[in-house]
Amino acid sequence: MSNDPLDLGLRAQAAAIAAGEVDPAELLAAVLARIEQRNPALNAVVETFPERSREMLAAAPAGPLHGVPVVIKDEWPLPWRAQRFGAAELTAPTAPGESGPYRALRDAGAVIVGVGNMHELGAGSTGNISVYGPARNPWDTERCPGGSSSGPAASVAGRLVAGAIGADGLGSVRFPAAYCGLTGLKPTFGRAAMAGHHMAPVTNMIVSGPLCADAGDCRLLGSALYGEELTAGDAAGLRIGVVRDPVSEDVTPEVREACDEATEALRAQTGGEVREISLPDLEAAAVAGILIINSESMSGTRPEQLNALHPELSPIARGTLKYRMLLPAAATVQATRVRTTMRRRLADLFDQVDAIAWPTVPAPAPPLEAPLVELPSGTVTADQANVRGAALANLTGIPSISMPVGLSGEGLPIALQLQAAWGRDELLLDAAEALERANGRRWVEALPPLAQSSPAEA
Amino acid sequence: MEGTTQADQFIPAGLAALGIEADEVDLAVIGAVHQLLWPPIVELLAFDTAGLEPERCPDLSKAPR
Repeated sequence: MSNDPLDLGLRAQAAAIAAGEVDPAELLAAVLARIEQRNPALNAVVETFPERSREMLAAAPAGPLHGVPVVIKDEWPLPWRAQRFGAAELTAPTAPGESGPYRALRDAGAVIVGVGNMHELGAGSTGNISVYGPARNPWDTERCPGGSSSGPAASVAGRLVAGAIGADGLGSVRFPAAYCGLTGLKPTFGRAAMAGHHMAPVTNMIVSGPLCADAGDCRLLGSALYGEELTAGDAAGLRIGVVRDPVSEDVTPEVREACDEATEALRAQTGGEVREISLPDLEAAAVAGILIINSESMSGTRPEQLNALHPELSPIARGTLKYRMLLPAAATVQATRVRTTMRRRLADLFDQVDAIAWPTVPAPAPPLEAPLVELPSGTVTADQANVRGAALANLTGIPSISMPVGLSGEGLPIALQLQAAWGRDELLLDAAEALERANGRRWVEALPPLAQSSPAEA
Repeated sequence: MEGTTQADQFIPAGLAALGIEADEVDLAVIGAVHQLLWPPIVELLAFDTAGLEPERCPDLSKAPR
């Protein structure tokens, strides 16, 4: 592994700065140079602001992330920049300002070096549509990086930075973490900073979350976002629930094998057990999640706004925004009843198991040009396939984590998702760290070709 | 193609009722989304929640009471 401070993980960078081994001003300059060098191939970072970053560093308190460069998704305002949400236009008003994640990063001493690309309007699991052009996957730049937090993930996987802040309303931290071989945490609803998000007043689905190489780094960055230390435990005796359902069975053979192996390795490492559990109606939960977040997203939108949409908004976004106005209110109310049903089922299940495991996504990253996945049940869009395993956590509020557990034959990351009871975010980090120990950190330390130092950088 | 015919009527009529304009591209996108999303919405409406006591203003940061 490289000794270049640029290639260190988040907590190693923080420790090196705290020990005086790395000059944070030099690190910032090196990160900006690396973004210049690597970003053209990735389109992960859509804007840098070196002077603002240097000002942040100059004013940075001696916090746990003092001097550590990070990227933040184009979903929150910064004092010098309004969010664009990956789109030519939002129907919600936006303005520069201090968002919760900005304040959390600033108060922890971090330095925001850039804004991460994202899927247009947050409305996709692939990241292949954005007003800035698609972000690209460092493992294969012709593949989707995952969405909607595409740029944050690609920037960490490409080792432009060691940590980034994403957002997850229906899997949008976990999908790009899975496609890019990272660890991504979707916090329990309400635990992580969300102020300043244009949907914060109306959403019961969206949370901010960290994307990093490993769980330890997510713990550090997450602690800043949560405003509290996410203390470490050991996940001893972990009771893992698995389901016999399309979310775990209608997946590619490679994904199934890698996730089954990882689940067994986690069981063995923690001295726990794997139990088959029953959790029916996951399809209904997915539709309920789609309905609720789509309804939330249209709050305050007036028909006349939809008749004057920005011409650079993609045709898909234009049509989808208009279609959302036709969603039946009765179905959205029904979705809240499904939410109640699933929350009560989960509450009962979490008396029997500590975590529920299934693949984060059923297939590795599809091509940018045609984001389709081939599953045992047939060929479907990645969005259709991905949402069914992700929506439950947003619908019910529980925390979830995605972690890398292998590479496909094409050299693309495979990921396992764990979900736990409300407030047990720390347990998920503990479990992810246990799995890292079990597999010798093989997958969290795997580097995509693009992130291996080029001769020009050596 | 009954579903398509119903969508052909429902979508333009629904948008017009709301005063929302839609060109051919919009209608093509909406039709495609509708084809994917409407069947599961109809299934959702049939989801049996008889006897379910709804959570009033649920606190999603916590387990249900």
